[in-house]
Amino acid sequence: MSDQLLIIAGLSAGTEDKPILHNIDLTVGAGETHVLMGPNGAGKSTLGHVIMGDPIYQVTDGTITFDGQDVTDLGADKRSLAGIFLSYQAPVEVPGVPLYSFLRTICQMRPELKTTARKFRERVGKIADQLDIDQNFLTRELNVGFSGGEKKKIEMLQLLLLRPKLAILDETDSGLDVDALSIVSRGIEAYRKECDGALLMITHNTRILERLTVDRTHVMVHGNLVADGPASLIDDIDAHGFARFEDALAEKAEA
Amino acid sequence: MATQIITADQTDTLALSHVNVPPAQTWNYLRINDIAFDVPTPHFVGDVYARLPQLFGKLECGIGDEAVSWMEHASGDARYVEVRASEPQTVYVDIDSSKTEVHDTGVLVRAGASATIVTCAHGEQGGTSSSLLRVIAERDARVSIVEIVACGEGQQHLDAIGIEAAEGARIEMRQYALGGAKVALGLCCNLAGASSRFVLDTRYLAVGSDVLDVNHVVRQRGRSTRADIVTTGILADAARKTMRETIDLIHGAKFAEGSEIETVLVTGDDVVNKTLPVILCDEEDVAGNHGASIGAISPEQLDFMRSRGLSEDEAERLFVRAMFDDAVIHANGAETRTAVLNRAETVLGADVARDMAEVLGFDTEEA
Repeated sequence: MSDQLLIIAGLSAGTEDKPILHNIDLTVGAGETHVLMGPNGAGKSTLGHVIMGDPIYQVTDGTITFDGQDVTDLGADKRSLAGIFLSYQAPVEVPGVPLYSFLRTICQMRPELKTTARKFRERVGKIADQLDIDQNFLTRELNVGFSGGEKKKIEMLQLLLLRPKLAILDETDSGLDVDALSIVSRGIEAYRKECDGALLMITHNTRILERLTVDRTHVMVHGNLVADGPASLIDDIDAHGFARFEDALAEKAEA
Repeated sequence: MATQIITADQTDTLALSHVNVPPAQTWNYLRINDIAFDVPTPHFVGDVYARLPQLFGKLECGIGDEAVSWMEHASGDARYVEVRASEPQTVYVDIDSSKTEVHDTGVLVRAGASATIVTCAHGEQGGTSSSLLRVIAERDARVSIVEIVACGEGQQHLDAIGIEAAEGARIEMRQYALGGAKVALGLCCNLAGASSRFVLDTRYLAVGSDVLDVNHVVRQRGRSTRADIVTTGILADAARKTMRETIDLIHGAKFAEGSEIETVLVTGDDVVNKTLPVILCDEEDVAGNHGASIGAISPEQLDFMRSRGLSEDEAERLFVRAMFDDAVIHANGAETRTAVLNRAETVLGADVARDMAEVLGFDTEEA
C-alpha cells in the first residue's frame, strides 16, 4: 500500500446550528484514486469543503492529517499551499480580476511553481490548448460570464497548473455536455499521469470515471460513511442504487 | 470666428468653485454636491481661427460649464477629428501631466463609422493637467473610448468627456482612474437617438491621501435607449472618493433602461467613501436600477481565493494588481500601456510591474 497522504479520523463537522458529518474515518494514499458516492444531501460536498478548510463548517471532533501534518486547525490558504485542491461545483465569479492575474498570483505563492513570466506564459498556453480553452479567456475576468462548462475547464486549468498532491473534485462533471465532459475527463487523466496526485472524486456520474483506475469507493449516507470497497462497488451502486445503504443505516440507528 | 490663444501659467491660480455638480443635488452638509479646484490662470497670447465646430459647444460634459470654459481657454487650441464610415480610426490623446498639458479634442464619428478613442493622462511631477473630449456619434456609429488617468503623487488632473449618440449609435467606454493627488472625472452621455446605447465600465484606485471626484451623467432622451454603468473601485490608506452617478430618464424616452452598479473595496482605516446614485424619471415605461456594495471582498470570493492559497491580504493585493493588469490589457497602444505600467511601478513596485508586462507579453514593446 502506498504512503498515507490524507488521514481523516473520527471527524464530525457541521454548520453552527446543524451537525452534518458524523465520525468519519477515511484514508487516501498518495497517488490513489478514491470515489465518494451517495444520494443527494448525504454530506459528500460538505466533506470535500471540510477537508479544504471552508470556514462555513466547524469541526467538532476528530482530526484531518495531510502529508504527515495535522491540518485540522489550519485555514484553507495554508491547506492549499500544503497541496490540497478543491474543484468547486459552482466556481465563484470574481469581477475585476483577469484570469491571467489570478493564475500568476496563485502560482507565485508556491516556491515549487515560481518561475519566470515567460515560462509561466508558455505553461499556461500549453495547458489551455490541452483543455481546448481559447487564449482570449485568459484576459477575461475570472469566471465572469463563463458558461458552466467553461468554468469547469478553468478549474481543470488551475488543477493542472498548481499540481496539488490531493485533488478533491466536487461533482466536476455536473451540468456538462458530452464534449465538455470529455475535455474535463482528459484534464483529470492528465493530472493523474503528469502530476501523480491523489484524487477524491465526488460524483454521481460514472462516465467521468471511465478513463480512471479507481482504487477505492466510499459510500456516504446522512453524513455517515456506511461502506467502502473496490471499484466494482460503483457498478453495484449503478445497478441497485443507495437504498440498501440507507436501510442499513436506519436499522443501525433504531438498534 | 477668432478665439483667443491663452497659456496657462502654473503660478497664478484661479478658483473653480463648482466642479462635478450633479443634476440633482442633495443636502449641502454632506459636501457631495460639488468640488472646488484651484487651477492655473490662463493668459492671453494671441488669436486662433480653428476651434471646434459650434456643434461641440452644446455638449454637456459632466464636469460643469465653469471647468469646461477654463479647459477651452487653458488649452488655447483644439483638435478636431472626423471619422468616416470608410475609414475606421483610432484617436490618441496623450496628456503629459508633468508638462501641465491641457487638451481640447472633438471627434465627429459619421453615420455608420467606427472609432476608438484613447485618452491617457500620465506623469510623475506636480502641476495641473486636463483633458476635454467631446464626441458626437451619428446614426449607427460605433465608438469605443478608453480613458486612463495615471497621474503621479502631487498632480492635479481634470478630465471631462461629453458624448452625444444619435439613433442606433453604440458607445462602449472603459474608464481607469489609477492615480493623481486630486482628480476630477466628469462625464455626460446624451442618448439622444432611439435605441442608442452606452456601456461604461469604470475602475478606480485611490491610495495615500488621493482625492478622486467623479460625476457620471447619462441623459436618456431617445426611445428604447439603454445605459449600463458598472463601477469597481479600491480605496486604500486615507483616500477620499466621491462618486455621483445619475441616470436621467427624460420624458419621451419610452422603453428606456438604465442601470448603475458600484462595488467598492475599502482597505484603509481612514478612507472617506461617498456615493450619490440617482435615477431621475419623467417617463412611465422605463426601467432604472442602481445598487452599491461597499466593504471587503465578498465571503464567497474570499473563500475561493483562500482555497487557492491566498490570505485575505494577498487577495486584496491581487485586486490591486488585477486593476492594473486589466488597464494594460485594454490600454490599446504602447504609450498608454507604458503609462499604466509606470503607475503600477509606483504603487506595486518595480518587480510586480515588470512581471505584469512580461506575463501579458508587453515586455519587449517600445512606447
